Formats: sequence, C-alpha cells, structure tokens
Amino acid sequence: MKERKLGDVILDVQNISLAFGGVKALTDISFNVREHEIRSIIGPNGAGKSSMLNCINGVYTPQHGTITFRGQTFDHMNSRQVAEMGVARTFQNLALFKGMSVLDNIMSGRNLKIKSNILLQALRFGPAEREEIRHREFVEHIIDFLEIQAYRKTPVGQLPYGLQKRVDLGRALAMEPQVLLLDEPMAGMNVEEKQDMSRFILDVNDEFGTTIVLIEHDMGVVMDISDRVVVLDYGKKIGDGTPDEVRNNEDVIRAYLGTSH
Amino acid sequence: MGFFLETLFGGLMAGMLYSLVALGFVLIFKASGVFNFAQGAMVLFAALAMARFAEWIPAWTGIESRLVANVAAFVLAGAIMFVVAWLVEFLVLRHLVNQEGATLLMATLGITYFMEGLGQTIFGSDIYKIDIGMPKDPIFAFDTVFEGGVLINQEDLIAAGIAAVLVVLLSLFFQKTATGRALRAVADDHQAAQSIGIPLNRIWVIVWCVAGVVALVAGMIWGSKLGVQFSLATVALRALPVIILGGLTSVPGAIIGGLIIGVGEKLSEVYLGPYVGGGIEIWFAYVLALVFLLFRPQGLFGEKIIDRV
Repeated sequence: MKERKLGDVILDVQNISLAFGGVKALTDISFNVREHEIRSIIGPNGAGKSSMLNCINGVYTPQHGTITFRGQTFDHMNSRQVAEMGVARTFQNLALFKGMSVLDNIMSGRNLKIKSNILLQALRFGPAEREEIRHREFVEHIIDFLEIQAYRKTPVGQLPYGLQKRVDLGRALAMEPQVLLLDEPMAGMNVEEKQDMSRFILDVNDEFGTTIVLIEHDMGVVMDISDRVVVLDYGKKIGDGTPDEVRNNEDVIRAYLGTSH
Repeated sequence: MGFFLETLFGGLMAGMLYSLVALGFVLIFKASGVFNFAQGAMVLFAALAMARFAEWIPAWTGIESRLVANVAAFVLAGAIMFVVAWLVEFLVLRHLVNQEGATLLMATLGITYFMEGLGQTIFGSDIYKIDIGMPKDPIFAFDTVFEGGVLINQEDLIAAGIAAVLVVLLSLFFQKTATGRALRAVADDHQAAQSIGIPLNRIWVIVWCVAGVVALVAGMIWGSKLGVQFSLATVALRALPVIILGGLTSVPGAIIGGLIIGVGEKLSEVYLGPYVGGGIEIWFAYVLALVFLLFRPQGLFGEKIIDRV
C-alpha cells in the first residue's frame, strides 16, 4: 500500500568514490532515493555510512561521481547550498546549540526562511515582528509534534540525551526540508526511546511527506520502517532493495554475521 | 563618606572603560567561538585611525569645524574597521573553518602583531590626541547631602552614558533578532549552523564588524582621556581579568566584571595601599582573576560547561 505514494527519483547518487589519503571510504557507490520514501543506509561499523551522508550533505566532496538532486547535477557544493536546496540533516554525535533554549534551537532552523532585514528585526518593526510570530507558530507546531512542550525554555545542554536527539530532529524539521538526512537517530537510545523515535520518523514521513534518508546501525528498526535499504560494507555497496530482499542477500548476511572459511 | 564615594565613582568610570574592551572579546567569542587576542590591537588601530583622520580632514578639505571633522573621522575609522573585518574573514578565518579553538586563537595572535605594525606604519607611532569636545570640568554632586559634595568628572559621565547605550543596543541585537540567534548558533557549533543554512562567512564578517565598532568606541573614549599611543594595545591585557570574572560568554558579565575590577582597584589602592606599601592597583585584577579561575572558572555569568563523558 505504501508503494503507491512513492514519487519520482528525487536524489540520485552515481558512482561516488571518496578517499582520505590512501584510505578508501567509499568506492563506486550508486543508488537513488524516490520522493516520499524512507530509504536507509546500513552497514557494520566503518562501512562508510556517515561518509556517504556527508557527501550528500556537502560536508565532503567526493573525488568521483555525481549527485543529482531534483534534476540538477552537482559534483561540488557546500553544506549551505545543500541546505538552501531543501535538504536538512541531524547529527550522529549531537551538534545542538547547547547554550540556547530548545525554542531558540528550533527557531534557528527557520533561519533561511526569515526574510526581513536585520535593522527591522532589531526594532521589532511591523513586518519583521509579524514574520517572527509566523515562524514561532510553525515552531510551536513542531514542538507539539515532538512532544517537548515542557522543555521549551530549557537550555538543551541540560536535557537528557533522548530529548536532545528530538530537538536535533526538530531543528531539521523547522527547515521544512524536502529531504531529511538522519545520521543514526537511534544511536545510544534505550528500547523505549527507539520506539518513540521510530514513530516520529514514520509520522514525519506520513504527515509532511518528507523524503527520509536514514543511517542506522540497528538492523531491527531499519527493517521495520524502511521502504528500501542500501547495504554498505568496507565502502562498497553489497546490497540494495526492499528489507526482505536485503535480509535474504547472501553478502549481507556474511557482512553482518561473518563467514566460515 | 564623600571621599569614599569619589573613589567609588572613579573606579566605576575606569571600570566602564575596561568593560568596553572586554565587550569586544565577549562578542567575538560568543558569536564565533574564537578567543580574539587581537581586540587590543583593534582598539589601537581604530583609535589611531580616528585621531589621524580628525587631524587630516581639516587639512584636506579646509573645513574648520571640529564637529564635522570628528564625525567624518569616526565614520571613516568605522569604515576602515569594516574593511579590517572583511579582510580578517577573507584571508584568515575562512581557511580555518571547523578547526580547534587553539588554532583560531593562534591566528588572532598573528593578526594582533600584524595590526599593531600596520596601524603604526600607516598612521604613525607618536602620541596623538582625540578631542571630541567632551567637557573636562568636574562637577559637584550631592553637595546638599554631605559637606563638600562629591567631585565627578563630566567626561566620565558622558563616557558611561555612551557605553551604556552601546550595551543596550548589543543585548537587543543578540537576544531579539534572528541574526543574533544565528550568531549564537554559529558560536555553539559551526557544522550544525552550516547544515541549517547559516552562512558562516557572512556571520563572521558581521561579528568582526560589530567588534570593530566596539573597539572604535572604546578607543575613542580611552584616546580622549589618555591620548592615543601604543600602550592602548596593552589595555587588552587589563580586559582579560574582566572576562574571567564576568564569564567569557556573557555581555552583562563583561560590564559588571569591568565595574567590579575598576572599583576594586581603586578602593583597595586607597584603603589597603597604606598597609602594604601601595601598588595594589597594578596586580589587583590579576589576583582576583586567579581566585576566580580556581573557584569559579566559568565566571560570574558564564555558561557552565557540562561535558558528557
């Protein structure tokens, strides 16, 4: 049933290779992501999952290959341009603005949407004031959605880890992204927190139609919520398909469980 | 009592000037996580530019009015600080994105020496004066309350007024505007800020501009009190204890820290000096800073740093 809502290819990754000196992080990786899809990248430790995400996000520039986003092809771009095109991300090791409140953190995600100039903002003058209020409403909606109303004014540095992860997600959502890159959103969480996070990811996908690219370590979660899965091992792609196809893929089983020689 | 109050006011005024310099440090640190060692050099550079332009403009244009010359000099010096900000970003910071704090600190150390040298090469290394026409005559206050009243320097009062206005404007800018929020975001995490589309380079130019203007105001006030000379650059050293006391991330902290140190210096010199042979003024601030480092390293108003293990 879910298959029907999937749209055209929104993000197409072709022959990406990335090396740090002599270390090959990624070798000739190709895959695509379709609109409204939940697409996961999995693999054992050091498989190159985060490197892949950082290439899409413009943090790393791959030596070979192209990334096509909504029909536009790039071989070089930076994080800011990527953000302007409507791609948001969360971080594996939290990268929140720790001194700021939950509200300000999420509001900062609206940065690209704020149009009024700095002078008007400072004076809280008519249009700037109205704009701020409009963004604030949107942010309140996200806060409700993530069920963190009680922590609005708390500095994020003081929140427990699971909640910080939610704020990280909230900040990304505030950008109203078309594609959301999630770097191990469930790393270090307990079972309950994992379930909450899975629910939020599914809801985001459902309610806002956001395309999601998810990196995860935990096979169980990924298989439950993904439409299609890419499997990486030692920087190479060893599997690609629906969760069921991947689960039965010989190479994948070998990579995860080891093999007897 | 009158004498005590006079000493107190004297200390507050001196403290206000420390605060202004400290403010420059805090601004850049808050907004870019860089401890800008070059703040003192920027004060010197801005003050030199202002002093010299105020001299040159009447000579170039033949306009005699001191007000016109001063305003034009202030604007020109401000413009120069904008150019400095842009060059610092373009030539130095841009290439050091996502580097360690210590690397950035060393870079600003380099900028310090460069600006000190360049400033004196362009503008000369004599002692110049800035005369913005502040009234020098002291006034008597509270003379109905105590006998003899309290002697207050008018110049100091005006300087305090300017500093106060500047601080209010900056607080509004940081706390109430979206750009201020973006600045704080950049201070906390470069990479995350970029990922939500905050243009790091533009933000850096903005903070260095703001810090440049603060340096200019500080330089102008110091300069009109004491004259513009190389020793202004070492004023920055006086501001270090202030930020340790107030907290590196707090604008109000910089102000209150400056006042505490200004007052502490003067009062201890006057009242403790006779017992230990004087000279307390010189080391008081540093000893106070040392005590704070031992017992409250985040300062009075700084954010406590909590690291997850």
